Amino acid sequence: MKIPSNLAKSSLLATGIFWVIGMTDGFHINMMAFMFISYIPVFVCCTGTILLTICPFYFFGETKHFSKRQVFQRFYPYYSIVCFALCAYGIYENTNETFLIGFFVAAFFTTMQSWIWFAKESADETV
Amino acid sequence: MKIIITIIASMLFSTLFYDQHIGLNLTVFSLVTLVALGISNPSKLRMKETLIVMGLYLLTAILVFFNHSLLSIIANCAVFFTLVGSFSEATSSVYVKWLNGIYSSIAGTFHRNFEDKSENKKPWNEDVDVLHLIKIIVIPLVVVILFVLLYKDGNPFFEEKVAAINFDFINFQWILFCLLGYYLFSNIIVPVKVQPATDSDLATENQLKPLEPLNEDNLKKEKQLGTVVLALLNTLIVLYIISDIAFLLSNTNFAASVLSNQVHNGINALIASIIFAIIIILYFFRGNLNFFDENKTLKNLSYLWIFLNAFLVLLIIVKNAQYIDAFGLTYKRIGVYVYLFMTFIGLTTTFLKVYQIKNLWFLFRKNVSVAFMLLVLCSVVDWDAFITNYNIKNADSLDVNYLIELSNNNAFILHQKKDRMVLKSNQGARIDLKYSNYVSVLEQSNWQELSYDNFKLKTDIKSYEDTK
Repeated sequence: MKIPSNLAKSSLLATGIFWVIGMTDGFHINMMAFMFISYIPVFVCCTGTILLTICPFYFFGETKHFSKRQVFQRFYPYYSIVCFALCAYGIYENTNETFLIGFFVAAFFTTMQSWIWFAKESADETV
Repeated sequence: MKIIITIIASMLFSTLFYDQHIGLNLTVFSLVTLVALGISNPSKLRMKETLIVMGLYLLTAILVFFNHSLLSIIANCAVFFTLVGSFSEATSSVYVKWLNGIYSSIAGTFHRNFEDKSENKKPWNEDVDVLHLIKIIVIPLVVVILFVLLYKDGNPFFEEKVAAINFDFINFQWILFCLLGYYLFSNIIVPVKVQPATDSDLATENQLKPLEPLNEDNLKKEKQLGTVVLALLNTLIVLYIISDIAFLLSNTNFAASVLSNQVHNGINALIASIIFAIIIILYFFRGNLNFFDENKTLKNLSYLWIFLNAFLVLLIIVKNAQYIDAFGLTYKRIGVYVYLFMTFIGLTTTFLKVYQIKNLWFLFRKNVSVAFMLLVLCSVVDWDAFITNYNIKNADSLDVNYLIELSNNNAFILHQKKDRMVLKSNQGARIDLKYSNYVSVLEQSNWQELSYDNFKLKTDIKSYEDTK
């Protein structure tokens, strides 16, 4: 599993989504510095979330007779539904907080894409 | 073609829902969804199951406009997921359709992205050097921004010009809403399925099959145990029913608290009784006892047990009807009817399970399907208006405060009929306030938020002035 590259890509994606939504409240050129710096806390959040909630599926699920593709097909649908429900609830509870909405939207899309990147490693190997 | 449909649908999505309340927009969205799904998956339109769900979706879409109730919106959403699930796999059970529908709506694009890659399909970006494209956009952008930050501190005139750059004319939130719509439609336009759950559902039949070998000795013992348990339970329920009937016949004028207690205790007893009935029956008829030649007595006792529970349902219907007759309808009292109906269906399917030797999945499938249809059927009625009309016309003791606290759907009726009700203290003023608030909400609504009440408003004002 290519965990470091996955974490780097996921953090970049999350930072991008977070700031695109955050900027809808207004954008000032001085915010650019914060955008670059925010990569660090976002990376920490992504590392925790991906290592704790996605990697275990591949660590414990993947065996000689059960490929990454099968792990993805078996668990990803339920993970995506639970993740969506939690993020939607977070957004519903914070409808006036643009940055929190950005956080939950980024969390949802990043975890979804992170699963795909892990699963695609096996597809890339077989192609 | 699909991408054009998705783009058009996403623009419509943002136009319909951005900064709007639910109304005509949900009805139009449903129609757009039906057209988009129909055009993108023409082969699925030949399937009877899909056409039925499409019909139901259209019905609930119309009901959202006419009834404008929370129940009709919930029913519309439930049918939406069923519809998407039906386009994904039409022959699966309702609950698998929900699972597929929810999964497709949430993560269909991601799933397809992965499947296309693993199935060696040609990716859309094969002929495009995406990395180079990102480089020539992002790197110059970052460099320019950095230099703008540097230069603006060195020249006040340049700083003034930079500060004057204003993107307020672009509504970024509207654009993001558009992207959300694009994501939703790109998810559902080619629905995906939860493969393990769908395959398992399609492979599971409703019919129970005998497990080899048939151990006659064990089956006889199990049959004896079942016969004793069910005989005792039947005796007990007969005694309970007799005492219940005696109570009902003993007095005809009950106080509200007595009736309320009776209905709620009855419901509690019924819940326990039905759960035990189904668990016991499912336990004894889980396997080979179904195919045992000497199971006649046990089967007959099970039918009797089901029949007696159904009779218990009937008794509670009588109590609930008495309660409603005296004190009018409320959502809880209607809920009791819904529960009793579902209980009756549960008993009927349990009877069929034993009679036709079906398995547990048969029970799940049939009961969930009936519950789903019941949800759609219940959404046909505008319950707030129905409760208000019924109570004003029939209830011996009218709870006006309860009617005022219902949703705005009864504002017109209360306002029209307030002169026919016996009102206490400030109830008349509260009805007027509710009406005027609702009228102002209707008058301020955009075309996306329109409902049938907007068209009724003019007629209502006219008829009220005529009666005055």
